Amino acid sequence: MTVLGWLTALGLVAGLVMDFGIAPREMTQGNVQRIMYVHVPAVWVAYLAFIVGLIGSIAYLARRRPGADRIAHAACEVGTVFLGVNIATGAIWGKPTWGTWWTWDARLTSVSVVFVMFLAYLLLRGAIDDEERAARYSAVLGIVAALNIPLVHFSVYWWRTLHQPPSLLKPGSSTMPPVILTALLVSFAALALLGAYFIVRRARVLALEQEALA
Amino acid sequence: MTYARRALTVAWKDLLVERRSKETLNALLFFSLALLFVFQFALGPDRERLAAVLPGLLWLGFILAAVLGLGRAFFVEHENDCWEALLLTPGDKSAIYLGKLAGSLALMAVVESLVLGLFVVFFNVDLTGAVAGLVLVMALGTLGIAAVGTLFAAITAQARARELLFPVLLLPVLVPVLLGTVKTTEALLAHEPLSAVAHWLKLLAAADVVYLAIGLLTFDVILEG
Amino acid sequence: MPDNWSFVAAAYGLAAVVFIAYGRWLRRREHELTALSASRAHSQAVRSDNTQAVRSDNSQAVRSDNSQAVRSDNTPRSQPLSETGHPRPEPSKRPPLQ
Repeated sequence: MTVLGWLTALGLVAGLVMDFGIAPREMTQGNVQRIMYVHVPAVWVAYLAFIVGLIGSIAYLARRRPGADRIAHAACEVGTVFLGVNIATGAIWGKPTWGTWWTWDARLTSVSVVFVMFLAYLLLRGAIDDEERAARYSAVLGIVAALNIPLVHFSVYWWRTLHQPPSLLKPGSSTMPPVILTALLVSFAALALLGAYFIVRRARVLALEQEALA
Repeated sequence: MTYARRALTVAWKDLLVERRSKETLNALLFFSLALLFVFQFALGPDRERLAAVLPGLLWLGFILAAVLGLGRAFFVEHENDCWEALLLTPGDKSAIYLGKLAGSLALMAVVESLVLGLFVVFFNVDLTGAVAGLVLVMALGTLGIAAVGTLFAAITAQARARELLFPVLLLPVLVPVLLGTVKTTEALLAHEPLSAVAHWLKLLAAADVVYLAIGLLTFDVILEG
Repeated sequence: MPDNWSFVAAAYGLAAVVFIAYGRWLRRREHELTALSASRAHSQAVRSDNTQAVRSDNSQAVRSDNSQAVRSDNTPRSQPLSETGHPRPEPSKRPPLQ
């Protein structure tokens, strides 16, 4: 795990260097655009974490190994943290660029719905006293929540684009200059390492907690 | 007992209990009436404003009634010490899920039809040409609400603060259903053809399939204890 | 457009605060829990002579398969362990509320 820890630290340093040192000042928005390097990778990492949570939940229901449940729990919690960062940085980015802290645009709205879904997951975990039952029920909720994510995305996206049945998943994304794309990917790698590090540590804390309670 | 018979037995039992006591149904009907007044007073007398938000209000009413009614789905069993009996049922317990679901659907169909009727009368809604579409949307939407709701009702039945936890769990998950049904109802009441909202209907159908599948596959797990 | 560095700082700063706080909370929990089990292991070594004879048969029979739910743990408790090894007593054993 220390290897992971050091890799994470390295990745974060590399990310910061890319984000501030190498990535250029963006033409239309100015330097405020650099918030993207935290904002966007955060949601990618969060969704990766929720997929890990989905796999862990299914694995737990299939084999009832407590390790799978701990990974699922840790992953969903870490994912929620990263989503929170995404929403907050999104609002901070929105104020100077859109003039408002909040707008019900498709991305912010759908991410917020997913955020609340997994907050509910964490709430459920806290509300069930019996450990084994909590694991089972949370696994089911984790599966529902994770599989609901694409439904939330499509419904919210269509809700925002009026009266037009969409032909593609998303409108064609504008091409990004390679430097910016690279900075984005490096930042993503850094945050992904951080996410993995947190999940591993959180799972370990959960294991210790279970031992201590017994 | 075959799977189908077990499911039907559960559904029949629920409907029978409901028909005799009329507890839930009456409460939901009065609740819907109260909602009507709340909506009216909250939005004021402006007819046009009301007309604009009507689809949203309608489904808000349906979902609030569902939160109240579905949250009690396993109440009868808990109150009468039958929960353990459910746990001990032999065979595939997803039959119980289907039975509960069918019972809830029947209950919600009654409540929703009445709410719709009240809306038509009190808010002067013009339903010409939209009835078939509305029935379809109501069927798809209610199926989704009940599918998730029955599953979550079983989950929260054993948790602390279950009356609070149930809506907290249910409402975020139902956002796609809410959006889909409201948008489709909007289009239908504006006398647009169903083809204009085909993508929403497909989304609702997909959501229903997902929720039903998860419910059927995991209900056994919930009823392990 | 003006650069709005303050917003950039706010965003990165917020992310940093959240991540650092979460990491520190994790580290603190880990230390607490390892310290707890270390002190338990120590007291277990001290008490092993006294309680081992009494508990050993019990532990083997009940706990041999299920290492997860129940752990052999000889620290003294204010209330006896229930059959499942859960520290909380079964509801039936609780005195009725007055």
